[in-house]
Amino acid sequence: MIEARHLTKRYAGRTAVDHISFEVGKGEIVGFLGPNGAGKSTTLRMLTCFLSATEGTATVAGYDIYEDSLEVRRRIGYMPENVPLYPDMRVGEYLRFRGRLKGLGYRECRAAVAEAMDTCSLAAVERKMIATLSKGYRQRVGLADALVHKPELLILDEPTNGLDPGQIRQSRNLIRELGERHTILISTHILSEVEMTCGRVIIIDRGTIKASDSPQNLIRRLRRPGSVLLEAKAPATAATKLAAIAGVQEVNPSEDQDGWTSFVLATDPQSDVREAVHELAIRESWKVRELSSRTASLEDAFVDLLKEESPPESSSSLKTEN
Amino acid sequence: MRPFSILFFKELRSFFLSPMAYVIMALFTFLNGWLFVSMVRAMQMQASPRSLVHNLFASGWFWMGFLILFPLITMRLFADERKMGTIEGLLTAPVRTSEVVLAKYGAAVAVYLVLLLPVFAFFPLFRLVTGEVTAFQPGAVWGSLLGLFLIGAFHVSIGTLASALTANPLIAAMLTFVFVMLHYFLGFLQNFGMVTGSVWSEGMSYFSTTEHMNVLAEGLVDSRPLVYYLSFSVLLLSLTHHVLESRKWRA
Repeated sequence: MIEARHLTKRYAGRTAVDHISFEVGKGEIVGFLGPNGAGKSTTLRMLTCFLSATEGTATVAGYDIYEDSLEVRRRIGYMPENVPLYPDMRVGEYLRFRGRLKGLGYRECRAAVAEAMDTCSLAAVERKMIATLSKGYRQRVGLADALVHKPELLILDEPTNGLDPGQIRQSRNLIRELGERHTILISTHILSEVEMTCGRVIIIDRGTIKASDSPQNLIRRLRRPGSVLLEAKAPATAATKLAAIAGVQEVNPSEDQDGWTSFVLATDPQSDVREAVHELAIRESWKVRELSSRTASLEDAFVDLLKEESPPESSSSLKTEN
Repeated sequence: MRPFSILFFKELRSFFLSPMAYVIMALFTFLNGWLFVSMVRAMQMQASPRSLVHNLFASGWFWMGFLILFPLITMRLFADERKMGTIEGLLTAPVRTSEVVLAKYGAAVAVYLVLLLPVFAFFPLFRLVTGEVTAFQPGAVWGSLLGLFLIGAFHVSIGTLASALTANPLIAAMLTFVFVMLHYFLGFLQNFGMVTGSVWSEGMSYFSTTEHMNVLAEGLVDSRPLVYYLSFSVLLLSLTHHVLESRKWRA
């Protein structure tokens, strides 16, 4: 559906996107993940023909983004970052305007708008002015706008930015639902989002692609040593006994009140030491109130990946402008 | 050309659904109504070689009100879209940039013509009420309408370009006002310490809006202002198109 070849965008004195090549197949939900300022929005803007590439090119549904810009735009439903809308229009009026502008006929457009409003649960605000809508509704109006002309490809730039946790969950479900009918490319800096909705993640940092894989594979590939937490009524000296278990690399005890001690065990990525720890506790007759293992999430993988590539700077680049 | 008409009517709607349209229209109509009455009074006191229509549109007061219209009509065209970010949705829709420019320009010209309507209603109304046949001289009325249409079309294109240059409607309005005024006063340079009939005054008279208007308000259709205003409008609109297109390439 999308085929990008060496896509590059240089601004005066700064390369925002540096020779990016990637593909998105039909029906995929792909997450574009990176810290702010990594070049996500710039890439999406080049794909939607809002900006021109300095170098390289891309095709969308077989059409070149430069040569056949109109054909490309007809096939894309785009929701820009921060969802810009006309505040002085009513929701239904706005969506009908957008539908007509995207080439729908009068009757066709009425039906399509009704359908899009239904999908995004907007019926209640159809006659409301956009200026009076809450952030959550505005986001849904933006989404309805993106899908009103039933595009093959949906490009959503940070679709859940600024929503509350409940709304994020709703829009996540909505995106997953939409994934059944559309190819979707979403950008975000929220990891849990791609972890739950996307079949594939492209991690981008400072204009280059750092990784492209399924979330599960990324976690596996980047899995850090696992860790096991044990809270037991045992003296701090028990740490040496725990360290003797095969697969445990390191033990960090810290004493709590009433004789309880919590031990954090760093383990090899592959081994699960909980059974051995349990047996040890029985043998030593320690009272145990917690024994649990923590696995690395995509978040950890992501942070590691960025750290690997850019030691001191990455934490600051997380906060720079977009 | 369907995107054109969709965008054109959207622009018209958003203009006439805002209270600003009516404030501008009321003020402009009021100013010209007052001017009309004073012109009639003045012509009662003293005979004038020129028609009522001609006198009204040659008055400096008319021009002051008139020139202020353009920044007000055009300032929001593109500047507002850029300020709100809606330009991103607009230019990623399957429409040509030229269609967007023409639709916005066309809508602004239409708005301008609607603002002008009440003023032109004065003449037939006055004739109807007073039975004064000379109040409505078709040649003078149609000539000045054509003149004001041409001058307006040109000024609106100045405003369209100014609005595309900035993301701030106020700055767009200022730019438009400055250039509209500069152009207006350029015509007065023909009297600048020079003898009439010299190359200088002859040359400058080609730029003189008041001069053009004087000819057209007599009911004489001169092709020179016609070509002048239309070609400048086309030039400024194509510049607007380039400004919008170059945004894709610039930083």
